[in-house]
Amino acid sequence: MDSKAAAISSPVPVAWYPTLAVFMLAIGLIVTASFFIYEATSSRRNRSLAKELTTGAIASLFLGFGSLFLLLASGVYV
Amino acid sequence: MAGSISMEAAGLTLPFLILTFLTIAAASSTNQIQILNAERRIDLSSHIVKVFLTLKVENAGITPASEIFLAFPPAQADHLALVKAQAAIGKKKKKSYVHLDANPTELPDAPNGTKSFSISLLTPLSSGETATLEVLYILTHSLEPFPAEISQSESQLVYFRDSALILSPYHVKQQTTFLKTPSTKVESFTRVEPTKLAGRELKYGPYEDHPPYSFSPVIVHLENNSPFAVVEELLREVEISHWGNLQITEHYKLVHAGARHKGVFSRVEYQSRPSFSGTSSFKHLLASLPPRVHSVYYRDDIVNISSSHLRSDYRKNLKLNHGILYLEVGRLLLLLDMGYHYFRFESPDGKRYLNFSFGCPLAETVVDKLTIKVVLPEGSKDPSAVVPFPVKQRLETKYSYLDVVGRTVLVLENKNVVPEHITPFQENGKTWKGTGKESKGKNSLKDL
Repeated sequence: MDSKAAAISSPVPVAWYPTLAVFMLAIGLIVTASFFIYEATSSRRNRSLAKELTTGAIASLFLGFGSLFLLLASGVYV
Repeated sequence: MAGSISMEAAGLTLPFLILTFLTIAAASSTNQIQILNAERRIDLSSHIVKVFLTLKVENAGITPASEIFLAFPPAQADHLALVKAQAAIGKKKKKSYVHLDANPTELPDAPNGTKSFSISLLTPLSSGETATLEVLYILTHSLEPFPAEISQSESQLVYFRDSALILSPYHVKQQTTFLKTPSTKVESFTRVEPTKLAGRELKYGPYEDHPPYSFSPVIVHLENNSPFAVVEELLREVEISHWGNLQITEHYKLVHAGARHKGVFSRVEYQSRPSFSGTSSFKHLLASLPPRVHSVYYRDDIVNISSSHLRSDYRKNLKLNHGILYLEVGRLLLLLDMGYHYFRFESPDGKRYLNFSFGCPLAETVVDKLTIKVVLPEGSKDPSAVVPFPVKQRLETKYSYLDVVGRTVLVLENKNVVPEHITPFQENGKTWKGTGKESKGKNSLKDL
């Protein structure tokens, strides 16, 4: 029995899971919405690929982490 | 002149040779050890029979003995759950106990069917020395309900079969056997003089000078109203997650292994006169869970067990009260699912290990077949378990949640598990960061 062994705990405090899930999903959905709005309102000539890509990337990042924390908060410890 | 001297020498060598041959022959047999005093205390208070054997052994031979053998009759051999031995060191006040290894062996000159165990002594016992050994062994399924069917208002009577003489490969100079019964009501017992029944203690002995492997079967018919809770199958699944969480799911198949119920069951009578009616039924089942658990759920085949509550003291206890559900005298199968989340996962540099206990959280139950599956996080390599007693190990793969490769599962199996089996065991599971192992002591809360 090693006395200097420390307990492994979650890198993110467990109490934050639901909060993080909600906020990250909210931000992700807002950025997704802005992406769709941009797509809908701009015409073919004015579209900027860089803007599309960055918005898409940010949206997927937040949605991805948000869904991870949602799973963790609901007890599915992946 | 030379001839006469050699004749005398020849005359002396032959008896000398015969003498050495005889001593070697005597030393090589097991009869060099004899038991000066053997005291056996059999505790029949619950359905798990605990026997405490105190042996005072003397080495009457020439060669030092490093092992002492124990023998068990064939009827008990299958029901032996645990054999533990310890040696007492020091006198009266300064007595301390040292644990000794007891392993099953084969003795060539034992009668058919006898199961032998060998206890390895710390220091070999030299000629003329005595040593005191204490052995604890536990028998399961050794109390047979007789009559096999009883009505609600009768108390449960059981047969206990054993021998008045302690079965041993050695010559026993003096031996006594005490049986402790749960109540003063003993219907009958075989008399092997001198026998004495006083209150809750039945004494067989003292018997003097019995040769090795002497056996005198006795049957004691006594009253035992303790709940005969037997878990036929227990499957425990421990899922370890990277996020520092353990999810434990348990599936029980619980049976009342006592006398069957015959006749009509009256709920009114059962609840109004609890000390008289259904005395051998399960009033409640107590399961003790580790302190820092959350999200505990339990249900049986039909419904959620509503009449139970989770008490939390220094060690969380789950008290399942089956007053509402009919779980009583007779055979009733209960499939119980219990799940809880538990944080315990230690990691020194390079290795990850987990402390866990091997037994069943339900108190005072015998588990016929226990399987523990430890599901390690994905990507774990080389798991291994360190268990104090022999278990069967194998590896499986399990796919769950978002797994791609599958999680390694270490499966441990054991039969005939009693509460005394709750001792530390360790399990190492290597991930790309380290290994994991498990152990937890029954009384040591510091591990939690």
